Order: sequence, then C-alpha cells, then structure tokens
Amino acid sequence: MCREGRVSSRVCIVGVGQTHHRGPGGSLAYYEIAFQAARAALEDAGLTRGDIDTVLASGWDVLDGRTISDMYIVPAAGGYLKDSAKVADDGILAFAYAYMRIASGAFDTALVMGHGHVEGPTELVSNVAMDPFFYRPLGMSATAALALQASSYAARYGVSEGLAAAVVEKNRRQGVNNPYAHLRSAITRDEVLASKMVASPLRELDCRPESVGAVALVLSSEDRAKRIASRWATVEGIGWATSSYYIGATDLWRLGALANAAQQAYGMAGIDDPLAELDVAEVHDMTSYHELMAYEGMGWAQEGSGGRLLEEGATSMEGRLPVNPSGGALSTNIGAGTGLARVAEAALQVTGRADGRQVEARTALAHGMSGLAGSIGQTHGVVILRGR
Amino acid sequence: MTSQQEEPLTIDGRWDIPYRHTAGQAATRFFRELKENKRIMGARCPSCRRVLVPPRSFCERCFVPTEEWVEVEDKGALISFTIVYAQFTSLPPPPYCIGLIKLDGADTGLMHYVGGVDLQDLEAAKKALSVGMRLQAVWRAEREGKISDIEYFRPA
Amino acid sequence: MPRRVAIVGVGLTRCSSWRKDVAYPELVYEATSAALQDAGITPNDVNAVVYGCMDPFDGVNAPEKWNVDACAAAGMLGKPYLKISTGGTTGGSTALAGYYHVASGLHDVVLAVASQRVGETLEAQLVLNTAVDPVYERGFGVGAIAIAAIQACSHMHAYDTTEEDLALISVRNHENALNNPYAHLRIKFSVEDALSSPMLSWPLRLSDCCPSSDGACAIILASEEKARKLARQPAWITGAGQITDNYFAGDRAWYEDWDSLAMLARRVYRLAKIDDPMRELDVAELYNPFTIQEILEYEALGFCEPGKGAEMVRQGVTAMDGQLPVCPSGGVLSTNPIGASGLIRVAEAALQVMGKADQRQVPNVKTALAHAWGATIGFHTLMILDREAP
Repeated sequence: MCREGRVSSRVCIVGVGQTHHRGPGGSLAYYEIAFQAARAALEDAGLTRGDIDTVLASGWDVLDGRTISDMYIVPAAGGYLKDSAKVADDGILAFAYAYMRIASGAFDTALVMGHGHVEGPTELVSNVAMDPFFYRPLGMSATAALALQASSYAARYGVSEGLAAAVVEKNRRQGVNNPYAHLRSAITRDEVLASKMVASPLRELDCRPESVGAVALVLSSEDRAKRIASRWATVEGIGWATSSYYIGATDLWRLGALANAAQQAYGMAGIDDPLAELDVAEVHDMTSYHELMAYEGMGWAQEGSGGRLLEEGATSMEGRLPVNPSGGALSTNIGAGTGLARVAEAALQVTGRADGRQVEARTALAHGMSGLAGSIGQTHGVVILRGR
Repeated sequence: MTSQQEEPLTIDGRWDIPYRHTAGQAATRFFRELKENKRIMGARCPSCRRVLVPPRSFCERCFVPTEEWVEVEDKGALISFTIVYAQFTSLPPPPYCIGLIKLDGADTGLMHYVGGVDLQDLEAAKKALSVGMRLQAVWRAEREGKISDIEYFRPA
Repeated sequence: MPRRVAIVGVGLTRCSSWRKDVAYPELVYEATSAALQDAGITPNDVNAVVYGCMDPFDGVNAPEKWNVDACAAAGMLGKPYLKISTGGTTGGSTALAGYYHVASGLHDVVLAVASQRVGETLEAQLVLNTAVDPVYERGFGVGAIAIAAIQACSHMHAYDTTEEDLALISVRNHENALNNPYAHLRIKFSVEDALSSPMLSWPLRLSDCCPSSDGACAIILASEEKARKLARQPAWITGAGQITDNYFAGDRAWYEDWDSLAMLARRVYRLAKIDDPMRELDVAELYNPFTIQEILEYEALGFCEPGKGAEMVRQGVTAMDGQLPVCPSGGVLSTNPIGASGLIRVAEAALQVMGKADQRQVPNVKTALAHAWGATIGFHTLMILDREAP
C-alpha cells in the first residue's frame, strides 16, 4: 500500500505537449511524432532537453513492430545519453514510474512519453498477448475480451445498449471541443445503435477508434516547479494495480484492479467522498460500457448504478462531475498513449488551460487502463491532480 | 505438479503479424534520391553541424529538426565489419559481410554489405578486408528506392 | 537524497535451453517463491511488484499479465504491478525500478521479477533482427552476434586483443558455471576446444557466444527499517543508474571504446563514492553474452586503461583467484534468459555481498558491481551493492 507523507518530494506536472491526433496513415514515423510531442512539452514547460534528468517511455514492442522499441522512442523523447527506461504498458504506468523517480529525490525533472501509431493489426497483436493454450486458439483479442466483460456487466445489471450509446453520444459531443482529438464530430444515440455489431454487445461506435499521435508530460519536483513555472498540477494521489489473468476466475462485471488503484490514490490524496471532492475526471473509456464500469470502480456509484449517474447528467459538462471533457478515448485513441493523454487533459483542466473544453476545476482525476495486453484490461492506473 | 512419467504437452505457435512501417519524411527523401538520382543524401543538424547518414528528421543530441540536405560521396572508409558464416532462420544465407562505412562527407556510419571479396575462405577475406580501407558503392542498374539500390560496397 | 534500500532475498531457477517441465507461470513461481522464502516473508508482506522481460521472445506478448499471480499473488491481492522492458538491460532495469519503488517512499517491500523463455522462440536471432531499424538497417541480417563481432573487429584492430584472449574468457566463465547449480551450460573445455568451435560471425565463434535459455529470477528489495529486520546481512544499494545511447549502429565509429558505459560508470561511481574500482570492488557480475564484451567492459568500467583489457585476462586478474573476480556465476556466457539475465547479475552480486553464494562465493566481499547492456549495444544499467548502508 502507498505511504502518504513518506515521499522525499512532491511531484508536479509543469509541461504538457501533444500532437494533433489523426487517423491511421500519414507520413511521419511514430518516433517523429513522439519528437513533436516532446518538443511541445518542453516548450510548454519553458525547458530544454538539457534540463531533463530522466525520460520514461511506454508502449508495446509488438504494436510498434519491433523489439526494443524504446531505442527509437527514448531519443525522440529527449533521452539521448540520459538515465531512461520504458514501462511496457499504457503511458499512465510510465507516469507512475516517473513519479517514483522524482519522489525519491534521485531526479528533479522527468519527461514521460506516450505514443500511438497504427502500423499493424491491433486485434491480431492483442491476440498474441493471450496465452497459447486456453485463449489464443479461441481467437480471443482485446475487443472480444472487452465485449465479454461488457456483456457480463450488461446482463448482471440490466444495462441497455441505449444507455451505453448515451455514453458515446456524450463523449463524441464533448470531443468536438478538443482541438487535439482525432474524431471531432458529434453523433447521436441512434447512429451508435445503427452501427455494425463487432462483438456483442459492442457495436463499432461503442468502441474506441484507432488514432495516431503522441503526448508528452514534463514532471518536476515541487521545489523545482516553484522556481521554473507559474502554474503546475501537483500529484496528490496515485495508484495502480493489475487483476488476475484467468477470465473465469474474476468477477467480470467489475473493474477490480481499478477499485484497488483508486483506493490507493484516494488514500494518498485524503479523498473520502470522491464524487464531491473531485471537480473533473478523465476516464479511459475503451468502450462505452467501460466508462460506466469505471464510475463504479472509482466508487462514484454503487455497482450496477453507473448508468444512473449518466442519466442524471452528473457526468456531462454541466454536471456535478464532468467526465471526459476531452471526448475521451471514444473520440481519440492513441494506443498505449491514451491513458497518459487522460493525465495530460486532467493537468490542463486544473491549470486552466483546457481551451474550449474547460471546466472549473481544482482537483482532477485521470484514469488509464491497459487495453492491449492481458486477458481483459487487467491493469489500471489512477492519478489525482490538484492545480496551483 | 506434473508426474515424471507424463511427456509435457507443447503446442506450436507462430506470430505472423503484417506491418506497414512508415519510413518518415527523411527516409522517404533518402530513398527517392537513391532511386531517381543515384545519390546518397544526409541531413545536417543546424546546431551541431553533423551530417547524419542515414538521414533522420531530428538530431537527438541537439533535439532540433534537421532541415538541410547534403549530398555525400558514394565512397568512404570501412569503420568495422564482420563476416557471417552461420545460417539463421529467414536471415540471409552465409557467407556475407556486414560493414559500417563512413562515407566521405558524412559524420555517421552507414551499415551495408561489403562485397567483391571472396568470403568463403576466411583467411583470404581477412587479408582482403581491413579497418580503414577505402570502399566504393556498387549500384544496381534497376533501382527501387530501397537500401538495396546499392548492392554492396567493394574495395576501391 | 533517496532513502536507503537493500536487497534482502534472492530466488533463482534452474536454467536450461527449454524448461519444458513447467508452464510459464510455474517457472516464475519457482523464482518468486524462492525469493520470498529467502527473505522470510509471505505475499502479504509485499507492497508492490515490478516485472521485466523482453516481449517477443516468449511467444506471448506481455507474459507478465499471464504470470501476475505467480508474483506474490499480485493479481488476487491487487498490488501495484509494473512491467519494464528495455532489451537486454531489462533485468537490470527491473532491479532499478524496484529500487525506485522503495526509494520513493511509496513502498517498503518490493518484489522484482524477471523472466525469459528464449527456449520457446525457435529462432532468437530473427527476433533480435526486429530490433534493428527496419527502414535502413534490418535488411542486412544483423542480430546481436553481428554487432558484437563488429565490436571485436574494432578492438582487435585498435589493440593487441587476440582470439586466444576471447577463448580464455569463454573457458573461465564456463568453468565458473560448474559451481553454479542454476547455470544453463555447465561444461569444461580448453582454449584449443574453443578455438576449434565453428566460426559464426567473424571473429566470433560458437564458444564466444551465449546460449539461449529459459529462466527466471526474483529479488526482494526493502526499506532500511524493513531490511534490518529481514536480513542478517542486507545488500545495500549504494549506487544505481542506466543510460540510453542512440540506436543507429553506424553512429558510433569508435566500437573499440564502449563510451556509453564509461559515462554511466562515472555517474554511478560518483553516487557510490567509488574512486578506484579495482581497489574498491571485490567482485563484478558483468553482462557478457559475447566474450569480447567482457574486455570492453573492463576498460569502460575503469578496471584498466583502454586497450589493456586483454592483458587483464592473460594475467588472471579477473579469474576466481584474481584481484577482481568477474562472473563467479558463469556470467551470461553460461546462462542467458535474456530479459532475466540483467536481474541475475544483480541477484548474484547480492548473494556475494550477503555471503550466500555457496560454492561460487568470493571470500570477504564487501562491494559488488552488477552490469547489463542492451539494444544495439547502447543501453546499460549499473548497480553497486555493499555490506554497509550508504
């Protein structure tokens, strides 16, 4: 468990940079895209490459189509000859590692990189993440696994596909306001319900798109932030967890690892009533159903009642706790960079720089999950930020 | 857990994942120049002034985009090399020689085959090849915009 | 400054070309349960887990998701769980990540695990070839062996290093492995045998190269308070770091000089307050999948002047009875479950400091060094362990 108050140094986000996310294709190699995001983050922080002590990369080699893919990403992220590492997972986990590096006092500044490109068939790549004996021969893949989970959740709690479609409608509407998002067109509930069934109950529009882009964050110790920045987001709480692998051995209808991660983060941040104490949240909506499950995993609603929060409008822009003002993953999905993009968006919110999608926010929550690897999005990370 | 008598079960696996890699702006131009103009281009960093071959769109040391294109010679010096005698699955049949070549005008080495030398006999090959020796590119008549447009580098 | 961290337990598995007696989670469990037992703790005592492996080799992407419950029941107990993957340095990187988990103040007891089932990849060089940039360099059939051969070519050209020197390194490492029940290759042979083994990629022969192995390794890291309770003699981490050089193999014209390692060594020695490594180190576990690299490492780590590495080999300075024994475990030359090998170096160094290295124990070890390299030889990790806390 996390130990509040034992860290050497509090950790702050002092710079955010991202590219404009697009659909697959384009002329830039994935590390060239990462370079752009890193440059933008450094510029945002008013720093140069020389000011960065450590660089953390993220993502999966198999998605990038080459082993040791960090050889390309780390230099693109400014890490040439620096003390750097790669977390092979969603970028929110690389953020967690960067957090620990600075919290220890060993490093003062860090750059964290999340990138997404589409150079290979993602579903097939996710299939090779499955063990070869029990799941892979069945053609299990990320979307099939997420669908199994959605199906289980919907059946247990009577969640209609109309309700799920309402999540998509909300996020796609909000995505229009995000200049960095890939998909910036609103769609209706009916359009969602008319889209092709991919893996029941998931229709095409219930699922995240495939987007290309990168996001980078510059972190620093609080002492350093005070000296170099005029505004920053402080990490008040952080947590991460991975649930068991075997699909039949876990409760499919709940995101158990998310609950663990959220508890760790809330504990550190001293949050008892998240619905009341959080001003905005960026949640990793890999599917429409997963956003509802995330509400419950975060403890904002009782199990099975996530839909009610949505129906009440509590999680829309005017609601008590706006969720995904950025449009979420349903509007823009840069692969393993998506969870880190949630952190970036949360940081922009609490520092008043979320142009076009700003919510009045002092405390924000960011959630990222591991969609590609593992049986069913086993891994979750949660970060709680406060603006200064 | 398994008893000593049972033969462990195994199953075969194969990853057959098709990829389409984006070469990026710098590589796209490099290969076009190879194909159309039979010349080798490098990218110069505006800050450290190194001419990078193969070219890349940013210099990782100075962390700035490279925008200046410089033609380098198709000859240069052999920095280091190895002669492969082993056959690895789906890699080229031996013997073949991989070398790092510092082309005249470039500040970094280009990896390519070294040929025009009998590699079958190691002792003969060791006499024919040496660090620092001068090499000349052997171009293919039909070029496709790939690194193989240069067939190999031969002793000059 | 970071708070003090020590290694208080180690778990190793028998390594072989193919551990077909176990499924992946079982292999990992072998290492993790041994580590927990060595530290005298239960899964509930573990606050977080960090896992390392190189993804493509095992034929399963992200095997750590599959193996989560073999790691102190991390899945069932909902523990923070992080995956590290940095090529050949993965094991060393994983140890470093474990170190920062504790040094950060967030976690007091951390399990660091690394594994690889190279035995399940029927052709490892092909996988390694995918590391090489597909746009410019992959087409040349470059795998790890070719790059090490290029290092050898340069060093032999610049200095008086000979194939006999390389053969002697091979003979010594394999002989050391005879004392290590966990090693993969445990064979004795002569320099003449080595020199008549097939030439793979000139100047490197079969005897100059590591095997492909299945194996796993686990260590327990703890905060000062916990370490003093858990271990009679903790292995304190007095210096740690890693470095990333560029990936284009052609960017370094000076292959006889492993400058990225020299740079890292200066940083880490400064942290560990080491001025004279030959005098202050008692044992070194170096990452030597290819014999030539041991020589380059001696020089980059400041054990001797540039070009004098081969001389050290000839004089037996780094033999078991020499001034600075290198790889009492038999090194990577004897055992190479790639993603785990870097952690095995740390584990072996820790065992030396803790005085628990059984038949391969070097007498009176106070300070040990553990190293790993990776990628197109541009990544390095280093860790210094000591009997005394920093």
